[in-house]
Amino acid sequence: MDKVEYLGKCLCINANGKKLLIVGDLHLGYEEVLNEGGVFVTREMFKEMISYFDRVFERVGKVEYVILLGDVKHDFGRILRQEQNDLLMLFGYLEGKLNKGGEIVIVKGNHDKIVEPIANSAGVRVSDYFTIGEYCFIHGDRELVGILDDGIRFWIMGHGHPAIRLSDGIKVEKYKCFLIGQYKGKEIIIVPSFLEYNEGSDPRENDLGMAWDFNYNRFNVKIVNSESLEVLDFGKLGKLKL
Amino acid sequence: MEKLDNVNSMNVKKSNLGKLEYIEAYRTEEVREILNPLVEEWFFGKFKDFSLTQRYGVKAINDRKNILVSAPTGGTKTLTAFLSILNYLVGLGIKKELEDKIYAVYCSPLKALSNDIFVNLIDPLKEIQELAEKKGLKMQDIRVGLRTGDTTVAERAKMARKTPHILVTTPESLAIVITTTKFSEKMNALEFIVLDEIHALTNKRGVYLSLSLERLNDLSLIEPVRIGLSATISPLDEIARFLVGGERDCLIAEVKLTKKIEIDLEFPGKNILEAESFESQKELYKILDKLIQENRTTLIFTNTRAATERIIHHLENQFPGKYADVIGAHHSSMSKEKRFEIEERLRKGELKVVVSSTSLELGIDIGSIDLVVLLRSPKSVSRALQRIGRAGHKLHENPRGRFIVLDRDDMVECGILMKEMIEKKIDSAEIPKNALDVLAQQIFGMAITKVWDVDEMLRVIRRSYCYKDLTRDDFFSVVSYLAGDYALEHRNVYAKIWYDEKENKIGKRGKLARVIYMTNIGTIPNESHISVVIGSGNNRGETVGKIDEGFLERMKRGDIFVLGGAKYQYLYARGMKAFVAANVSKNPTIPSWFSEMLPLNFDVACDIGRFRKLVKERMKDKKECMEFISEHLYCRKDVASEIFDYFKEQSEFSEIPDEKTIIVEKFKEEKEFLLFHSLYGRRVNDALARAYAYAAARLKHRDVEMGISDNGFFIAGESLDAEKITKWVKSKDLREILKEAIDKTDILKRRFRHCASRSLMILRNYKGREKSVGKQQVHSEFLYSAVRKISSEFPILREARREVFEDLMDIYNAEKVLKWIEEEKVKIKIIRVPIVSPFGLNLMMQGKADLIKMEDKVKFLKRMHELHLKVIGDRGKD
Repeated sequence: MDKVEYLGKCLCINANGKKLLIVGDLHLGYEEVLNEGGVFVTREMFKEMISYFDRVFERVGKVEYVILLGDVKHDFGRILRQEQNDLLMLFGYLEGKLNKGGEIVIVKGNHDKIVEPIANSAGVRVSDYFTIGEYCFIHGDRELVGILDDGIRFWIMGHGHPAIRLSDGIKVEKYKCFLIGQYKGKEIIIVPSFLEYNEGSDPRENDLGMAWDFNYNRFNVKIVNSESLEVLDFGKLGKLKL
Repeated sequence: MEKLDNVNSMNVKKSNLGKLEYIEAYRTEEVREILNPLVEEWFFGKFKDFSLTQRYGVKAINDRKNILVSAPTGGTKTLTAFLSILNYLVGLGIKKELEDKIYAVYCSPLKALSNDIFVNLIDPLKEIQELAEKKGLKMQDIRVGLRTGDTTVAERAKMARKTPHILVTTPESLAIVITTTKFSEKMNALEFIVLDEIHALTNKRGVYLSLSLERLNDLSLIEPVRIGLSATISPLDEIARFLVGGERDCLIAEVKLTKKIEIDLEFPGKNILEAESFESQKELYKILDKLIQENRTTLIFTNTRAATERIIHHLENQFPGKYADVIGAHHSSMSKEKRFEIEERLRKGELKVVVSSTSLELGIDIGSIDLVVLLRSPKSVSRALQRIGRAGHKLHENPRGRFIVLDRDDMVECGILMKEMIEKKIDSAEIPKNALDVLAQQIFGMAITKVWDVDEMLRVIRRSYCYKDLTRDDFFSVVSYLAGDYALEHRNVYAKIWYDEKENKIGKRGKLARVIYMTNIGTIPNESHISVVIGSGNNRGETVGKIDEGFLERMKRGDIFVLGGAKYQYLYARGMKAFVAANVSKNPTIPSWFSEMLPLNFDVACDIGRFRKLVKERMKDKKECMEFISEHLYCRKDVASEIFDYFKEQSEFSEIPDEKTIIVEKFKEEKEFLLFHSLYGRRVNDALARAYAYAAARLKHRDVEMGISDNGFFIAGESLDAEKITKWVKSKDLREILKEAIDKTDILKRRFRHCASRSLMILRNYKGREKSVGKQQVHSEFLYSAVRKISSEFPILREARREVFEDLMDIYNAEKVLKWIEEEKVKIKIIRVPIVSPFGLNLMMQGKADLIKMEDKVKFLKRMHELHLKVIGDRGKD
């Protein structure tokens, strides 16, 4: 298990002697979708995202793989101008953080229906799932036959936007978190969304919409400290008071 | 002006205020003289004489003078305005000189105005025309056009073909009309503007209208006369300036109430302390039944929707069959049709009693009411008068009212209100100034109609009284927002106007500008209703009812509230749903009428403080004191006796707070409490409570809870140093302190959503799609955090803050109170008590209203983590 390192909202994994950086749902272009809907909102998200990545890469150095856990773009079914620009700029940025021969991989999410043309043009691999060693990366919205392989011990996924409310009886605050548990003999890690502005959903209050019926009460909660890259262990969800 | 920030005072335009003149009534002959013979014959065929209001107003309007006519309800205001205008138009019609243009615009904030218009305009016009025909006089048709939100496309098209001579409209529709090229051309020689129910416009809707009027003035080649019609309101000077703008002159006709008010105060049961007990509740309905039976028609005001329904339910239950067909409810959550039906049945005399929250306070004629019952305090004198004025609407009948009070604070408060009504002392209204969200919407509207010279645009805006002191900085910050400057590299996406600095010009941007403006116009926020859904247990997923958004905001996890007679515990909210647990046995922690509560007027609050002092000085001799109370308040002996007992208890327990003394009671429950007996109304107390809570939170770096009411506020925390806390808050720092204190609160977020919607940052309607309030809310959360990242001084965020400070709270009077404390005109006296004193009981029972957050999110996370580690550690040891 020591091969998995929690770095703020991201994961760093060493598998088969290769270093992997795992990133949750990005939802690029959310702002443009809002603009289209008549909401005056400026586009700061991209800049903030890059500065967060800068801090992450400062810690991990160059990597062999950057794995984006799907829902890279926000809008279903079409690609907006901002998304196209942002995607290409993001790919360009991440390219620069790869070791020679490294690769960016997108596992397809429900929001990524037509992300392939842009990704392909930038040499980014898009697939339904991606495996390396005993790790399998998926978005988490669908069951896929291939991931049930016996050689795989870890399923690492996004999609659920997990977050947890903490309360001391008076004050209530919500934080992004990782959910770590077991399902049919596999180790599960649900990665929080990368999107700022929105913490996500508390599994005690909302259905995270994962493809499997996880027993979240027995999952471990690791909360992301938004200021540092530190992650704090809060034990089993079932033992946490709501 | 001390109200303005020092920073901005450099570029404030010094305005010259116009002249205001209070006039006397004219003699009947003087008014009669000006009437066209035909109109004169019609008028005196129908009425015996001019009403007092008409003797004040008709001639002045005829002389083309701006005039504010303030008269108590039941007057003949609307016809006063129309009589001069009809007289003029009939004269032209007979001479065949009527042109194809709009002569007069009549604007009313009421949507259901048609009945009034029929009585005061359409019918008179028809009768005059018939009279002319009978006499063989040929007269041109005088056309009236009605343009409201309900006007159909076909009707609008007809109006465009045949220009109405008198346009009847609402503030929102007026803004649309002046932005429509075809229509605005017909108004370039407008002669009269009539603003009805102006007392209902001392809000953002009125601010918005004031700018529309300046735009209308700008369109017109001649200066139209402005006529304002108002119920009793104060200060009249302020309302007159609001009507005509800062620099124009205005006459003021203050038509005094000649009728005597017949009013009394009573309580159910033998003892007011027991008023809420089951027996007294029965007694309450007995009293109501008696009053209803003694009168032909009774109108009961309850303040809240919930109480309205409860009263009807119990009357029907306790007197089976008696009220089945003769009772009606009227509140703002009812459909328009349903309300209209009730009004219609009232007018026809089919109903014996109508129970209303507040919705029947305004305008429209509802026929003859014999008695108005005020259940619980109406919170201000003008509101009380407005309500009681619904009775004896006929000219020569006296308005009759009855206060029925259910607790001791209510009793004292209504006693003071009764005194001031009898002594005709009216509390004052305020009009918001320099509202930047409304300004943004109007600048956009102006840019759509033409390309403006920037200075010319600012000049037109500053003619409105609400913007006479608008700084250039504020103006340009709004222009920058609209021109997309805050979004630098993406300017084209957001910009609604262009601003050319070199040429000093402003114009519209984008093909959709006009459509966006027309479909998103207005200032009334879409208040949303939240569905209450069972979130746990057997009936999970079942929807049990609806609550309004404001109420939800006041709740925190674990709070217990009542809905439709059952108790629920609030768990959490998701989008437009609040999830709750059912089958709760604990008592409610939050009263269900919380968000609907009207704030007590500051002047009335101070008068209660004065009354407390007067009673306190006379406590020694019970008999003398009771005599004083009943004389002072014009109240019955039993009421005076109850009030005396209440004060006696308080003085024995701790001390009676009064106009010169704020008593601060310190006691411990699960936390340490400081309860401030500061009787200044909840708007002032909201500001003070947050400032003191912030001071307490800052000293200990922990969150502090607070609760507020009209009579005081409390703060609660782990340990509170009363001396330090009260010394730390200074009047000069109040604004800065509050800015910090409200920074992350839901109230600011909610106000921001409304301001963002008014300033068109969030479009309710875009590209033909209407957006749900829920969606607007989600979007506004995102927008809010984005805007805060751009600048904490973003104009629309500043406007949201101004709204919280000045409209929701009353920061000016809060500063005044702090100054009194600093100058020792008011003393703070800290008393340690074992439990809360009688005067503080109601406040404590209301529960906690908000939390001042001091500990930041990351610190809280770390503290929780440490706590958690301890728990895990302890468990490990077992």
